[in-house]
This record gives sequence, structure tokens and C-alpha cells, in this order.
Amino acid sequence: MAADRDFYQILGVPREASQDDIQRAYRRLARTHHPDVNNDPAAEERFKDISEAYDVLSDPQTRRRYDAFGPDFRQVSEDVDPEAWRRAQAGARATAGAGGRAGRGGFGFGAGDEIDLDDLLGGLFGARGGRGGRRGASRDWGPIPGADQTADIEVSIEEAYHGARKTVSLAGPGGTRNLQVTIPPGVTDGQRIRLTGQGGRGSDGARPGDLYLVVQIAPHRTYRLEGRDLHADLRLAPWEAALGTSVALATPGGEAKVKVPPGTSSGRRLRLRGRGLPNPRGKPGDLLAEAKIVVPAQLSEAERELFEQLAAAADFDPRRNQ
Amino acid sequence: MTYALVRPNELDLGAFAAAAGLHPELVRRLVALGIIDASCDCSGDLWFAPGQLAVVARIQRLRAGLGLNYASIGLVLDLLDRITALEAALQRARRPGG
Repeated sequence: MAADRDFYQILGVPREASQDDIQRAYRRLARTHHPDVNNDPAAEERFKDISEAYDVLSDPQTRRRYDAFGPDFRQVSEDVDPEAWRRAQAGARATAGAGGRAGRGGFGFGAGDEIDLDDLLGGLFGARGGRGGRRGASRDWGPIPGADQTADIEVSIEEAYHGARKTVSLAGPGGTRNLQVTIPPGVTDGQRIRLTGQGGRGSDGARPGDLYLVVQIAPHRTYRLEGRDLHADLRLAPWEAALGTSVALATPGGEAKVKVPPGTSSGRRLRLRGRGLPNPRGKPGDLLAEAKIVVPAQLSEAERELFEQLAAAADFDPRRNQ
Repeated sequence: MTYALVRPNELDLGAFAAAAGLHPELVRRLVALGIIDASCDCSGDLWFAPGQLAVVARIQRLRAGLGLNYASIGLVLDLLDRITALEAALQRARRPGG
């Protein structure tokens, strides 16, 4: 509901805006927030607010009444004089003190007040007719199914691997709603998860649209994702790379042993078959561990001596065949 | 001595309407419908960027060629702009090294 927000604010126009300005603002906003143009779940509610605001402000007579009586103007009978209303509000506030809102009955007027309360509140809830139902196509079209909506959902690589239950918060009718979503194992970046019937509301009991959650795989500290293949760095000491070794590497599915063959240089990719993201329909991805030789920043005395011996004995030239 | 506050790169309602070949009231109406852009100065006069003439031409073509009403023309213009922006982004993304 837009009741707690100012109609002028919703349309983004000043209170003294001309009817042309109001129409211009409405047309532009309606075009960008229409549920079929904008599939953000919050857009549907904004579109309704915009339509409601325009409904009131586009008619000079209801606009005048809105200006005078504020958001409750529909509850004030047509023949109430704005000045009398203002005085009654002030009087009500004075007697009712801090409790409740003025104009709701249950309070008395001071002795000097000449306004008849019944007269003032006679139209309460009765004066809703007027311009009749809301603007909107449903009047001519009967029930209209709701539009589909799209929202992003961020999923970590671990969640994509194991599957997860997540809560998504979406703006919707009556404030934020939380949805429990099951992320199946093996979702990929950009995949859409359909939540049937969680999209835009249909009018007059027509079926609601669907909500599509577009999976965004969050960047990870250690893994890079390419399709279902995971890429990770495998940091090796020079002697490990030269002599070969077996290294424990953390993967989303638990620790895996990587056999590093002797003579491995930086950049060599070691494939761990099936250790990437699972695939519900076929072969799982692989984990590709890229060798990265790391040398100690500072050598101990013994290490330095050994490296010097190695340098003297080796006839390996890494730049020979360039 | 009085100085006219004129932005030389913008057209006033009369000049814009003449250049577009439309009645000034129709131009005013198109602004109220939010399908062409105009800025409003302190005395309430409308000013138009010359680029809006191309928009008016497109509006006329859509109306004459497809029989669209002004509400749908506004939507079509928005969507065409959006398609242009998306196509440009796609081109940039396809370009090697881009």
C-alpha cells in the first residue's frame, strides 16, 4: 500500500506541479516499472503505487481533496469543508492527547467547538465509491495472469557443489517476503531456478506468474569456475616440482591427493577428474590444479649452500629454447 | 540594457515545432505524455535539444506506419533505446580483448 507515502513523492513531482507535469511523470514511471518491462519483484509494487498516486492526482477534484485531507481523504465525506476539517483535526488532537489518530471517533470536542462529529464522520468508509474501482485493465479484461519476475541469487562454490537451502528476501506486496529456496547440487552460473507461482500476482484470482532466480556464483578465494571445471593454484617448492611429490589439496568435496610428476614446471595443469562441480545430467566437472613454483623469500645458510651447489652442478638453461 | 537568457544549443517551443513540422500544442502534448524530453525554464517555457527532432520523426513513423497510440509509442521508444544499449554492450563484449 502506498498509504504511508506521499503521492507527490511517489511520482517525484513537487506539490505545485501542473497536471501536465503529473501526467508526464506518471507516463515515464509507469513505462519503466510495468511488470512486463521490469521483472524486478519490487517493480510490481512500485507500479501499483504509481498507478494509485496518478489515479488520485490526475483528477483535479480528488487532487484538491488529497491536498486538503491527506492520505485519509477517501474517508472524508464529499461535502466536508477543508477548513472545518483542519479545525476538527486540531481540536481532536488537543482532546485525544497522545492516543490514537484524530478523526477515528471515540473522542469529544471542547465546549467551544461547533462542528458536529457525526456530520464529519458520516462518510467514513461510506464514501469509498466516488470514482469507483481502481484504474487498470482488469475492469475490461477479467482475470489477468501475473507477470514472471526475475531476481538474482548469490551462491558460493561450496553451496553449488553440495546443494543448499537458502532464504531470499524479496520486496513484494505487504513488504518484504522471505522465501526458502532449495539450491540443487551442481547449479552453474547463470542457471535459472523456477519458483512456480511466486511471481507477480494475477488480478481477480488469475494465476500468479513465476519467479526465476538467476544463480550468480560468488567469486571464491581459492577456486575459479569455468563451466563446471574448478581451477585452483597448486603451490610447490622447487624441489617438490623437480622431484615429484604427492600433495593434499582441498576441494569442495573434501581433500584430494594430487600426484605431481617429477619435472613439473609452473603453469602445468594437473587434472583431477570428476572433482569439479557435479552434473545432475551427465559427467561432473574436473578440478584443474595449476602448478605454481614458490621459492622461499629468505634462504637459510644450509639452503643457500645447497642451491649454490645445484647452480654449479646443473646445466639446465630455462631460456635455451625460447 | 536587457540580456536575453537563451541557450543557443536548444530550441524553444515555436522553433522546435516548426522544425518538426508539428503544431506547438501537439509538441506540448508529447512532452506531457513523456515521450519527448524538454527542459522547463523558470518562466515555464519549454526548451528542446536538437536531438529530440529525430525522436519526433520516429514517433511520427511509428504512429503512421504501425498505428500505435502515444502510450505504446512511449514504451516502444524505451524498448528500442534499451535494445540499442544492449546491442552496443554485446558488441563491446564480443570484440577481442574487450
